[in-house]
Amino acid sequence: MKNIKPLNRKAHQIETAPTEEAAEKVVAMSAAVAGCSTTFDPGWELDPFMGVAGLCQPMEADLYGCSDPCWWPAQVPDTLHNYPKWNEGRDDAARDWQSLQSVFPK
Amino acid sequence: MKKKHMARGTGALVLVTGLAISAIGNPAHAALSGQALVNSKCATCHEAKTDQHWTRIGESRRTPEGWDMTVARMTFAHGVKLSSEERGAVVKYLADTYGLAPDETADHRYIIERTPSVVEHPESKPIGDTCARCHSYGRIAVQRRTEDDWRKLVHFHVGQFPAIEIQAGGRDRNWFEIATGDVAKELGKVYGYDTASWKQWQAQKHADASGVWRLVGNRPGVGAYEGKATIARTGDDRYSVAMVMRYENGSEESAKGSAIVYTGHEWRATLKQGGRDIHQVFSLGANGAELNGRWFEANNDAVGGTMRAVRADKGVPASVLSVQPAMVRAGMRTTLAINGVGLNGEVNLGRGVKVIKLVEQSAERIVAEVEVAKDVASSSRDVQVGRASGAGLLKLYKQIDYVKVLPQHPMARVGGNGGSQPKVPAQLEAIAWAAGPDGKPGTADDIRLGAVPAAWSVDNLNKMAAEMQDTKFAGRIEQTGLFVPNGAGPNAERKYKTNNAGELKVTATVKDGSRMVKASAPLIVTVQRFNDPPIR
Repeated sequence: MKNIKPLNRKAHQIETAPTEEAAEKVVAMSAAVAGCSTTFDPGWELDPFMGVAGLCQPMEADLYGCSDPCWWPAQVPDTLHNYPKWNEGRDDAARDWQSLQSVFPK
Repeated sequence: MKKKHMARGTGALVLVTGLAISAIGNPAHAALSGQALVNSKCATCHEAKTDQHWTRIGESRRTPEGWDMTVARMTFAHGVKLSSEERGAVVKYLADTYGLAPDETADHRYIIERTPSVVEHPESKPIGDTCARCHSYGRIAVQRRTEDDWRKLVHFHVGQFPAIEIQAGGRDRNWFEIATGDVAKELGKVYGYDTASWKQWQAQKHADASGVWRLVGNRPGVGAYEGKATIARTGDDRYSVAMVMRYENGSEESAKGSAIVYTGHEWRATLKQGGRDIHQVFSLGANGAELNGRWFEANNDAVGGTMRAVRADKGVPASVLSVQPAMVRAGMRTTLAINGVGLNGEVNLGRGVKVIKLVEQSAERIVAEVEVAKDVASSSRDVQVGRASGAGLLKLYKQIDYVKVLPQHPMARVGGNGGSQPKVPAQLEAIAWAAGPDGKPGTADDIRLGAVPAAWSVDNLNKMAAEMQDTKFAGRIEQTGLFVPNGAGPNAERKYKTNNAGELKVTATVKDGSRMVKASAPLIVTVQRFNDPPIR
């Protein structure tokens, strides 16, 4: 960048932007509360920053987006193979969530 | 106003609601032969190789809960028909034949004891990266398989849950090659089937648990307790249990129930304790001389306590188990109870602690009036009675230098409100610490004094939480340190109609003389699980 001079504000921002080393990197936690899905996408009970602000809000709005493609099968029943009738007749999770059962047979 | 929708029962869901008692704790299946059931129910698909070895079944070892989860999956995913008694008998047989030796579960018992909010630090990075992004690491660490069987487990996951390859942690690497290659090798190496521990354990004669036991423990939110148990044999590996627990606060509970021992040491009992249904997950260790583990409410495993029991039959070696109160301030005169077995002889609490008089003295409990010198340093003291000694049981302190909130990363889950899952509360404890000999708090020589009463409060954890008014919606904290989350379901009063999830900061304020010592921890209130097996 020695021979180039910024002319407008955007170009100036590029010049003054912190270097890669100086910037704080976003890193997923390597340690997490046992049994919680925390990886991005965005995580079932915890987001990568060990909070809930980054999760789907409300969770029910995307619940079947978790169950149908087996997104979090350890937390949400997968309707692809193991629990095909889990949400049958409960088309709107935000409305029908109370009748969705916990699946592990005691 | 919200409409309540009644459950529309389907065949698949009958299994869920039909059985109240877990297969693990049910002693009713004594008469059935697990081996015969494996031959009649499982061998149709799992070909018998030898007398006690079937394909897949003979290539892995697990805890009773681990086997129960596999057998349960065979019922809902592959249509195996098993009554509750048959399921229990199959699990008993498999856990006995293909179980884990005590030292193979020692480092990860929290996961079968269902200790709430444990922060894990995976011992193996490749295994952690691959498995612990959905499961606890402990779930993997309490299994042993041949390398080939671990590889088959990877294939099983790809077949059953194809999204595994396109999730974060899957799509960003050559996942399949890594998982079936290096990770399967690592699993076979770290958690392989053949171990010296298992061979030795199989060759060993397993202990009978019957007898009289002396017990001590801690129930977060209530406090330390001591008591006695009588265990009587009712069949092969089956026992009746009767217990009395006396808490430090003066309350008393009795408990009665039954137990099964799996794999020669995995003690699982179901009891009625103080009106509640309780499960005990203990290990029968030290050649049958000790029971150690955690107990919890059957429908609310976040609430429970730890327990350690030793034999109290005549002629057992003397042992000091606990002292109540476990922490005494310098310059104080107090009544101290020493709990143990075979207690006989002079009480010695070290220099600066004077025993004024003995108020009560039996082989199991000594109550003494003691005086701690003003100039005694903050320290851990051995509690000696005659030849018996309890290492570091008594803590003496000048002042509480700081407090920590435990668990360090507590989590609660919304529940109830007409949904199928109950609320999962978080039981917090304020643990007092004193600086050690170096006088500096926060160094390795600090002394953990123990749980102390605190005034509890919650606040929003951060700016986003304040904006979302998390303290208003997520729940409330009781003065015993029990955080009770609010109801499940989308909340029309909240922004985005979101759930009552939230990010809170919980603060314990501890009074130490005229000083106030505070400590905080982040408290996450999150959503419910719809799949909640015994090992998460």
